[in-house]
Amino acid sequence: MYGIIDCDNCYVSCERVFRPDLKDKPVIVLSNNDGCVVARSNEAKKLGIKAGVPFYQLAEKFPDQKIAVFSSNYELYGELTGRVVSIIRKEAPAYFRYSIDECFVYFKDVEQVDLMRWGENLHKRIKRSVGMPVSIGLAPTKTLAKMASFFAKRHSGFRHCCLIDTDEKRIRALKLYSIDEVWGIGRRYAARLKSMGVETAYDFASHKLSWVKATFRNIVIERTWRELNGEDCVPNEEMARKQSICTSRSFNGMITDLEGLRTHVSNYAARCAEKLRQEGSVASIVSVFLYTNPFREDLPQYTSFMETRLPVATNSTVEIVKAAYEVLRQLYREGYQYKKAGVIVMGIGPKSPVQLDLFDYNADQFQKMKRLDAVIDRINKVNGTETIVLGSQQYTRRDGKGKANVFANAIKHDYRSKNPTTRWSDIIVLK
Amino acid sequence: MPNIHIIKGEFKKQLELQLAPGIRAGFPSPAEDYLHDSLDFNHDLIRNPEATFYGRVEGDSMIEAGICDGDLAVIDRSIEPQDGDIVVAFINEEFTIKYLDLTHRSEGYIELRPANRRFKPIRINAEDDFEVWGVVVWTIKQWKQ
Repeated sequence: MYGIIDCDNCYVSCERVFRPDLKDKPVIVLSNNDGCVVARSNEAKKLGIKAGVPFYQLAEKFPDQKIAVFSSNYELYGELTGRVVSIIRKEAPAYFRYSIDECFVYFKDVEQVDLMRWGENLHKRIKRSVGMPVSIGLAPTKTLAKMASFFAKRHSGFRHCCLIDTDEKRIRALKLYSIDEVWGIGRRYAARLKSMGVETAYDFASHKLSWVKATFRNIVIERTWRELNGEDCVPNEEMARKQSICTSRSFNGMITDLEGLRTHVSNYAARCAEKLRQEGSVASIVSVFLYTNPFREDLPQYTSFMETRLPVATNSTVEIVKAAYEVLRQLYREGYQYKKAGVIVMGIGPKSPVQLDLFDYNADQFQKMKRLDAVIDRINKVNGTETIVLGSQQYTRRDGKGKANVFANAIKHDYRSKNPTTRWSDIIVLK
Repeated sequence: MPNIHIIKGEFKKQLELQLAPGIRAGFPSPAEDYLHDSLDFNHDLIRNPEATFYGRVEGDSMIEAGICDGDLAVIDRSIEPQDGDIVVAFINEEFTIKYLDLTHRSEGYIELRPANRRFKPIRINAEDDFEVWGVVVWTIKQWKQ
């Protein structure tokens, strides 16, 4: 039996932990650079605020509404969701974190557990300890568990936990579940299915497998069909293999020169290295992408992506930043106005059995790098993110003189909340 | 179930591997059989790390309880608050630290009592939307920079 634990309106719920007064009020969280709405409380959804709406339009569209607005604060969201996962880890026999706000669990012997009670207790414990409301779906396959969590979230009668453990319940749920919502069916396939008269998950699941195979010739769609019919077949390896770490941002304005891009790309690369070190892993592929602004049709467009394989898998800031710059140099073309760049590290594995390139490997250098990174991480942890950065990570000041701004200050975040769980200077004040 | 982490709850994020038994480097230490983790505030004073938050005390409202301006409070949200506990609550847009007084619960109200005669208790009626945010388990005072 699988379970999925899903944080309700995750970012909004994180903000509410330290703002209990915003309970029952419309709250939204904005994307990086305060561009558009990425998370909404139920009250904000009820007002009709759609996900992805540009922030500047809100004041026009909802003139008389009081809406609490936050810039995204991933430092806070990462810390609080980490606490949620840590509780799940203690309560479940096996778990797999799927995304920032979703975690799968697996029960081998269902007979010994009262799953309904397990779920209700887990919800209570997470709500009480972290202040995070979660919804829990339990079912024989991952796709059905996702469906169960959908109902757990929307119907208060379930008390945050929905268990699909009989065929009767499965069929009843499938009939109420729109094909758009099904995990693994993308928007395009959903539209195609609807044009064939498939409206609900039940319509889809009651077609013959031979029809699904002949119509779509797509292994993912076929697997989804099997999963909806109760056959456990989305492999865990597959979910794990998707793992890559990506850091990317749209720039505040547009950037034309290589040095300007280098600063941003170096920061993204440094973030990726730091994330790798946090989870104790190393990466063997570093890739960089670069976009111009596709909405500015008046400007010449250029989009590019390239990757490089590292001789030795690493999590060293210096090495990953260096590799990212090498790739950037090859990608870069003069004469374009760039809007967005990003760094993705892939080929992620555990730290220990690093494959060494015998010809390039320099043991002394390796030890030095390791010590340097440990010191950087420590100083940045104690004194706040980005107290120490590489030279290439520093931004030129607005007036063009000197280098002052650090990465965190280069993104716009006018409504950012504090970080009471990761910085001593930000802990709550008790009067 | 390959690739699903089966890890029992461990407080430390990562555990370094010990030397495998049987592998010896140099002379065995006579103290080896008595290996014991050092005292560790994080481990020993914080029972529920996922539910633990910190706060800085501002003002003198709890001074007679020995809690002063600038003290650090360790707050556990997972504990069921009981009469007489020192708790953190969110009232009028701010966090406050007070004694929880449940004496008058049967009369339809509870109180948040300061430990300072110059301050008045805060009365909370049964119909008010009120929740204790967390229970204070430790306060830490700095005596020397």
